[in-house]
Parts: sequence; C-alpha cells; structure tokens
Amino acid sequence: MSGETSTTTPTAEELAGMSREELARLGAKLDGIDLVEYGPRYVPGSPADKNAERSVAKWFVLTGLFGVLTAVAFIWWPQQYQSWTSDTQWVYALYNPILGVTLGLTILFLGLGVVTMARKIMPHEVAVQTRHDGLSQEVDRRTLAAELMDVGDKTGLIKRRGMLKGSLLLAGGGLTVAAAVPVLGGFVKNPWADGAKSELWVTPWAPAANGAKIRLVQIDGTPIRPTDMAAGAMITVFPAVPGGAKASDAAVMLFRLRSNEVVKYRDATHESFRFGDYYAYSKICTHVGCPVSLYEQQTGRILCPCHQSQFDVNDGARPVFGPAARPLPQLPITVDDEGYFIATSDFTEPVGPGFWENKGKYES
Amino acid sequence: MKRLTLPPRVRVRARSKGQRRLRGLLTLMIALVGFGFLFTLVTPAPHQAEAGAVDETQIAAGAAIYVNSCITCHGSNLQGVTDRGPSLIGVGQAANYFQVATGRMPLADQGAQAPRKEPLYSASEIAALGAYIQANGGGPQVPLAADGTSATLRDNAAVAKGAELYRLNCASCHNFTGKGGALSQGKYAPALDQATDSEIYAAMLSGPENMPKFSDGQLTPDEKVAIVTYVQSAKASLDPGGYGLGGFGPVSEGFFAFIVGMGLIVGVMLWMGARA
Repeated sequence: MSGETSTTTPTAEELAGMSREELARLGAKLDGIDLVEYGPRYVPGSPADKNAERSVAKWFVLTGLFGVLTAVAFIWWPQQYQSWTSDTQWVYALYNPILGVTLGLTILFLGLGVVTMARKIMPHEVAVQTRHDGLSQEVDRRTLAAELMDVGDKTGLIKRRGMLKGSLLLAGGGLTVAAAVPVLGGFVKNPWADGAKSELWVTPWAPAANGAKIRLVQIDGTPIRPTDMAAGAMITVFPAVPGGAKASDAAVMLFRLRSNEVVKYRDATHESFRFGDYYAYSKICTHVGCPVSLYEQQTGRILCPCHQSQFDVNDGARPVFGPAARPLPQLPITVDDEGYFIATSDFTEPVGPGFWENKGKYES
Repeated sequence: MKRLTLPPRVRVRARSKGQRRLRGLLTLMIALVGFGFLFTLVTPAPHQAEAGAVDETQIAAGAAIYVNSCITCHGSNLQGVTDRGPSLIGVGQAANYFQVATGRMPLADQGAQAPRKEPLYSASEIAALGAYIQANGGGPQVPLAADGTSATLRDNAAVAKGAELYRLNCASCHNFTGKGGALSQGKYAPALDQATDSEIYAAMLSGPENMPKFSDGQLTPDEKVAIVTYVQSAKASLDPGGYGLGGFGPVSEGFFAFIVGMGLIVGVMLWMGARA
C-alpha cells in the first residue's frame, strides 16, 4: 500500500537459494521493517547462554512444583469444617488460602517463565519501521471511500431495491422483538387489576375478610404485650398471617418512647394511631425501600443505612435529612381483649418508595 | 340413715366463755397461717433473690465512690443534673456495670459519644457502685462472676439462633460480624472486639447512649445468651477466606481488589515492557 519500501520481490531461483535468516529478514523488509540488529542474545554454549537457560528453567520447574502442590492440597488437606470452639480450627481456615496461594503461584511462575524467556532467550533484535505522519495519503483515502461506495452502488442498495431494504428492516425488527419478548414479557402486567385492593395499595396488615384484626408478632410468632418493652425500646414486628415475616411491605418498627418525650403528630388522625407511648412505623424507607432500622433512642432518629436518610420518630417519622421525601407510613395500633398489640387497620398510605399512581395518597 | 340425736342442751350451756374465745382464736390463727401458705404458693418467686441480698458495707463503699466521682454530673441523690448527666434512679446495676466496666464512665469530656477506655475502677469497686445504684431505685441487673468480673454467658448449641436474632436486632448498627458502624452527627455503634459476655448482656439490658433497650420481655435471657454466644463466636472464628479486610464486606474488598490488584497488574505490565 505505501510506497516506502523499494524492495523488489525475488525470483523463484533467488528464493530457493536464500538461507532461513535471509528469508526472515526479507519478510520483515517486505513489510517495511528494517532489522538493524538481529541475532542470538548470547553466543550459543557460552556460560552466559547457559545461565540464561537455567534462569528460565527455574521458573518452569517452580510452576510444575506448585501445580502439583495445588492438587495435593486439594485432595489431602483436612478441609472439614471445625467450629470456633476447636483448637485446630486454623487447619480448616487455612484450606482456601492454601489453594489460592499454590494455584496463584503456579500461574505467576508460568508467566514469569514466559516473560523471562522472551527477555533472555529469544533473539536480540532492534527493528526500525518508517511510518507516515498524520492522515493517510489523499490517494489512499479517496480510493478506499470510492471502493466502498461503488460496491453499494453496483448492488443497487443506494438508489434502488426498496423492497429488499424494506424486507431487511422487517427482518431486523422481527429478530429484535423475538429476542426482547422473553426478557420484557415478565414486566408486562397490570398492577391495578384489583382496583383498590391492588398489591401496591394494600399490605398483609389489612384486617382479614371476616374483620379480624391482625396481631403484631415477633419474627418467631410471639405476640407482644405493652409490658414486654422498656421505654426506649424498638422491636421489629410482622403481621400474624402466613408468610407475614417474609412479605416485603409488612415489616414494621414498634417503638416505645419515654413518657416525658415531646412528640409531634402529622395531624389529628395520625395522633390516634398510637397506643400510649407506643408507635408503629413502616420499616421500609420511602426513598428506595431499604430497611430503616438504625434507631438512636436518645435523639429519636431512625437512620437508613443505604443513603443516610433520617426520620424523626418524635415528629411523625418525618424525614429530617437525606434523600427520602415522605414520612414513614404509620400503622394504627391498639391492644386486643387479651392485651396483645393489634393493627386497627392497614396503613393509610402506600409503603416504601413512591410511584406515579401514588399522587395525592400522601397528605404531606 | 338414722338421724343423730342432738346432745343435751345442758352441755352446750356448760361451756364457759373462756373456752369459746380460745376456740375462736385458734380458728383465726389456723385460717391466717393457711392463707399465708396459700399466698406463698400464688406469689411468683422473685427473680435473682440471691443477687438482691443487701450488703450494707458494699452499698456504703459504692456511695463513697459515687460521692467522689459521679456526683458532679448525676446529682447528690442520683437525680441527674441538667445539661450534665441523666438521672440514675431505676437504671439498675446493669447500666452501671456497662458504663464503668468499659471505662466510658467517668466521662473524660462531653462529646458526641463516650468512647471505650481503660476502666478507672476495679471489679470490686464497680460491684460496690452497682450495689449502691441498685439500692436506689432498682432496675435491670446483669449476671456477673462472684468476683465482679464478666460471667461466662454462653450456649454454644444456640449459636445459630443467636446469629438470626443478631441479624434482626443488632446487625443494622453493629455490622453483621460486630465491627460497628457510623450513626448520625459523630455518633457511632462501637465495634464489639473487646466486649465481654457480661458487657454485651448489660448493653442489651440497659440500652447505653443511643442504643435501644432490649428488656427481658423483648429478648428473653436465653435469647440474650444466644446473641452473646454468636458475637463471641464471630470474633473467635478464623476467616476461611484468609484475611478478612476488617469484615466490612464488599466496600473494603472492592477497594482492595481495585487498588492492590490493579496496581499489581500495572506494575507487571511496566516490568514486561521494560527493555531487557
């Protein structure tokens, strides 16, 4: 392509008479490369040559050794679990590191061997190749562009063949749809099919069909009495329904504040949601739905670990810091005939992060 | 059945007033003693009756320490001093043990949080102070060894249950392996590296600083012991992955992989590219 080399192609007779080294030099020259220095690194058989060979072989021997060690450790190391009460738990704990170190060293030594070989054994050469500055030459650029356009023109794809182009477009579209359907199909669903009972509007706290109120229980199903909690306590509670502890929108924090704390309410309705000094708020952050459970019982702050939103439990769980924009929904609670906490109704607003249809459901 | 013939009236009349009084008195006494026994059956036995035994000299020793070191901030009658220290009435021996045995109290200076430091008082002095606090208002008590040092509160069989309870109640602030974490405005949940069994137990009972309280109704003593067991097991377990990088999870691990791993790769590249 470039006319920078003046080498002419040798004839068949000339080729037949050339040595291997001459052929190698010729190949480089035909590509525009001039081998200024080219030859073995050390005199073959000299002490330096032998030293170089030994230093490379050393790495490959180590590679083999550590490869075998990896296999030996994998098969025979006593890797059975030993608990923290055992005096020999270090034997078990060393299994993974030993596998990692031996296999890692195997690969490292192989790499070192290859690089050392390239630097100490491979022929010593200094090659010079001339390159043009800046853009390719005008003639090269013109001819390449013309070549490409000419093919398009001669195929008729530039000005004619509307049917072919149209069908190609259809083919591409069809293929895209076929590939996208299995991925996107799972998202196609009407979340509002059940109207006011749609999943996003209700949680497992909603009273049962027969009007029975849902109890607040601990994760092991224990119902909670007011006397179970000390002032300044927080407890994560779940609805006493099957699967209640696993439902993503059901986790609730039940707080017992000190009776001398000053508490503000969002409004009169929310004031009636408490039971004495006991308040229940959704544990799901209104920002993106992380569990907010870092409760500072003296400052009354509830922290979200994901994006540092803070809610003030003494002020209706209003967000006071961070990206969350809405207060945590409050669960209306009271106690039943047996003295256990129950939810008098479902949350009065959707739990967790906002969504488009949520407009107006929040009062503040 | 044949009706019994009534005894002659004469005999009834023959009883003296004194006899009747004696009989009435005896009936009353028997009834009272009976009620007393019945009452002991109905009343639940008090918890830790032994620990509640009052030792006047110990309380006096505790009061002496209190007057020397605590009175400035907590007041002459443990009622607290505005803007200095809270009331200690009803906090119990558990709160005293946690604060003094971990060296947090006496406080070195007012700040966002009282840090752990070398305790100022010996185990027996802390026990005396605890007895004094307990004698004035009562409150939760933590189990201790006889010499006032930490008891061994373990149940190795319950370690899995303890881990579950720890993840639900503690891990959000103290990290899943007890390495601690940040709270708001300079406060933090401390690492549990140095915490002893009784200290962890006392922290749950008393809710020091911003930690919520976990009374025995919320986490039973057995559940507390299970949690202590988990925390101590997490500290004693060797990391099967080699070095744990602080146990903070993906943040420190990613940081290490990026800085050390990338640095190593770049270094090897430079070495390979260097002229022989």
